[in-house]
Amino acid sequence: MMQSVPFNYRRIIIWLGRLVLAGVFIYAGYAKITMGRSPRPPLGVALTFFEMQVASYQILPHQASRLVAHTLPFAEIALGLLLLIGWPLRLWATVVTLIIAGFFASVVRAYALGLPINCGCFAKSEPLDGMTVLRDGALLLLALLMTVFAFLEARRPHPWSAPAKP
Amino acid sequence: MIRRLLLGFATVLIFAALSGMLLAALPPQKSQTTNTAAKPKTSSQAKSADPAPVLTTISVAGVNDIDPAKAFGSKNAPVVMEIFSDYQCPACKQLYTATTQKVLENYVNTGKVYLIHRDFPLPMHAYSRLAASYSRAAAHIGKGDEVEQAIFQNQEKWEMTGDIQGTVAAVLSPAEMRKVQAFVDARTFEPLIEKDRQLGLAVPVTQTPTSVFHANGQTYPYAGSVSYDVLKDFLNQLIGQK
Repeated sequence: MMQSVPFNYRRIIIWLGRLVLAGVFIYAGYAKITMGRSPRPPLGVALTFFEMQVASYQILPHQASRLVAHTLPFAEIALGLLLLIGWPLRLWATVVTLIIAGFFASVVRAYALGLPINCGCFAKSEPLDGMTVLRDGALLLLALLMTVFAFLEARRPHPWSAPAKP
Repeated sequence: MIRRLLLGFATVLIFAALSGMLLAALPPQKSQTTNTAAKPKTSSQAKSADPAPVLTTISVAGVNDIDPAKAFGSKNAPVVMEIFSDYQCPACKQLYTATTQKVLENYVNTGKVYLIHRDFPLPMHAYSRLAASYSRAAAHIGKGDEVEQAIFQNQEKWEMTGDIQGTVAAVLSPAEMRKVQAFVDARTFEPLIEKDRQLGLAVPVTQTPTSVFHANGQTYPYAGSVSYDVLKDFLNQLIGQK
């Protein structure tokens, strides 16, 4: 039987990934809905403003941009909470990783094309630049490690589970 | 199994509660007090053949330092839209040709949006400040629309040669061109252009075009070009705010 310890480096990275990415996702979703301001603008204003930012990447057609803008903020909050809850971790970790991979690809493309746009990541006036690419790349790396380690650790018995009977 | 079901229910409950709190927390906005009534006006209608222009600026809905010759629409419009633009920037040309013209037609001329052109010549563009001078001068003799259109539509030509004068002269009569050229030579409108640039730096404008929307006491800066269909959704939401 494989040995399992409560805190190996894989478990630490999984926990780190869950906490960091959950925080980023919940904050990003909340910021898009409230535009990070008080008093908060009406929801329709916030979502259509985000729709302009999605469309500025020039990847999706108008209707698809609208769909993404009206669903992504809520999906980000939900996925952040699901990552914190951690069940079933492998599923939500995979979904989060795929979404971050999509963000990263979009940001790299916009940066490579030199599009004069804002990132739109946290509903702030934040020009898309090299730092945005680095930040999204770091988040993608963390998400990948978290997901791979979650799959690897799932093969081992949980360290707090009862020992198997001989 | 029961534990998993409980966790699942807890997840749904937490998200539903959070979403509800968020939606409930969105407060209704107070309606904004607006300014003096005025008829919609475009720069073409601002007939001012006086060779000595008056460099006065106005304030609309809390937005200050507006050159009336570069502003369009009703001052009572529920939305004020400022566009910080550089005549040599391709994305600004795209915004002007694909979006701004339709906004003028469907929102400005119907009294829903008050549109302000702001000059934000970028230092990297050798001729954009000169182009801004010509456009501003033309606006003050009532030929702003024609000259702005000519400058943007011929952007690729004059940015190679620097011949903005020829581009502008092609759409003006010799008498009009003499007036415009006199203003440009005297740098008459340089203070207004510089004022626009300073206002842009305060936003802050980090790239052109940048549009700043004002509605219900809130300000929404947006960088980059935007298609008319997408902008329309946002403008309708701003106008429909209670």
